[in-house]
Amino acid sequence: MTNAIEIERLCYRTGRTFEIKDLDLHVPQGAIYGFLGPNGCGKTTTIRLMLGLLRPLAGRITLLGSAVPHDVAAILARVGFVPEQPHLDPMLTVRETLAFHAAFYPTWDRPWAERLRVQFALPDDQLFGRLSKGQKGKLMMLVALAQRPELLVLDEPTDGLDPVVRRDVLSALLEYVSQRQATVFISSHLVHELERFCDWIGVMDDGRLIIEVPMERLKNGIKRLRIGGTPATADNAPFVLLAREPANGTGETWLVREWEPHMATYFDGPGVSLHEVIDLDLEEGFVELLRSFRSPRP
Amino acid sequence: MFRVMLYSQWKWSRLIVLLGSVAGFALPLISVHGAARADSSPLQAPELLHAVQSWGVLYPVLAATLGLLVAIASWTPDHRGRHVYALVLPVPRWRYVLLRFGAGALLLAAPITAVLVGALLATSSAAIPAGLQGYPVALAVRFALAVLVAFAVFFAVSAGTARTAGIVLALIGGVMLVQVIANVARVDLDLVGKLQLLVLNWPGPLAIFTGRWMLIDV
Repeated sequence: MTNAIEIERLCYRTGRTFEIKDLDLHVPQGAIYGFLGPNGCGKTTTIRLMLGLLRPLAGRITLLGSAVPHDVAAILARVGFVPEQPHLDPMLTVRETLAFHAAFYPTWDRPWAERLRVQFALPDDQLFGRLSKGQKGKLMMLVALAQRPELLVLDEPTDGLDPVVRRDVLSALLEYVSQRQATVFISSHLVHELERFCDWIGVMDDGRLIIEVPMERLKNGIKRLRIGGTPATADNAPFVLLAREPANGTGETWLVREWEPHMATYFDGPGVSLHEVIDLDLEEGFVELLRSFRSPRP
Repeated sequence: MFRVMLYSQWKWSRLIVLLGSVAGFALPLISVHGAARADSSPLQAPELLHAVQSWGVLYPVLAATLGLLVAIASWTPDHRGRHVYALVLPVPRWRYVLLRFGAGALLLAAPITAVLVGALLATSSAAIPAGLQGYPVALAVRFALAVLVAFAVFFAVSAGTARTAGIVLALIGGVMLVQVIANVARVDLDLVGKLQLLVLNWPGPLAIFTGRWMLIDV
């Protein structure tokens, strides 16, 4: 499988406290990749590095088969980007914004842009600066989609939007992806939103990628285990132990990743038994992953 | 591409360009007709030269002001969007800068043309005393050069971040401070004077702003 985005050992530092260190990230072609992480963990910085807005200290970035930042102008013609903050010219009307954008993209789809404008109920003659937050979000998504990109990079595109606008924006995105088989890289801290439609997930914290797996594997593989007794160690466990803590009474609660049902036999020993395997939803899994990353391993 | 860039910049700088054009058109007319006598008697050469020279001070001021304001307006949409939009457009950065510069320079053609038309009208409508001549085209060309120099300088400064502008201001402030300290300490140092000579005297980059700006001269 080829990758639309490949990042190898990326390093970047800003100020004294924040750094991205040895970041590896792989987004398969055609995937909808959710990039999860708490605020300030480095998601936006990673995106800016990917698009050549910032220069890395070290590492290699490849987008759609071309190296960033060397071929960045040619790459950007194939990439649609929706940033976190409104970035379009506030003095241009909706119509003028579309005309401005169309001039820079040879693949601009004028009829579809107009259809989306009507679908999003965006007033033609309203200045971008006077649009509501939801309308700005819709227009930014519109300009990213109407250029018919092979790759969409979306930095918290629905953050702060009301549920109706969010649904409109996401359904337009999914319609495009289903038609065009485009790759989507979407950063968010809204876990439930990503859970609905992403097929790959990467979780970042403190400038590092904690995990990068297919969504199904993450959703089905993170479990909380209630164990009777106290196993001495977790050596040779077939799963990844993220955290362990004493439960009420004599047992322990373990948080594990990459769990499969046949692994229950691991606890078939004297004085130890597996009482219960509890499914976690993605949000719980995300929180536990972050907690285990931030605290020392057992 | 250039057309949409020009339109975008027109929306940001139209008021500046319109007011600049009105001022540029009016300045030559006022400078010549301001010298006219109330009893409509013929203009005397010394009076006319004095009036033209007095009003002539305003040409470099207008040129610098127009260059400054249009340069700032050229970059304002990008500064507002923290340059994100510009940097993700699929054009090399040097080309984007050229587009912005070209659009700003083209918009400045309006006040330059206004100065030329005003100067031509002023010289053709006034009875110029013998021994004097009108130089409307030379004045307009000099005005055009001054506007473009000012625009280029301020365009380059405005292209940077607030930090860059701060560094430039700090450098200027530093020179002034050193001069003040030198004066107080009675040290024989004329830093400002030397810089002035270097920048404002020919072939200094801002020499075009200095000297006499005469629409009518001997």
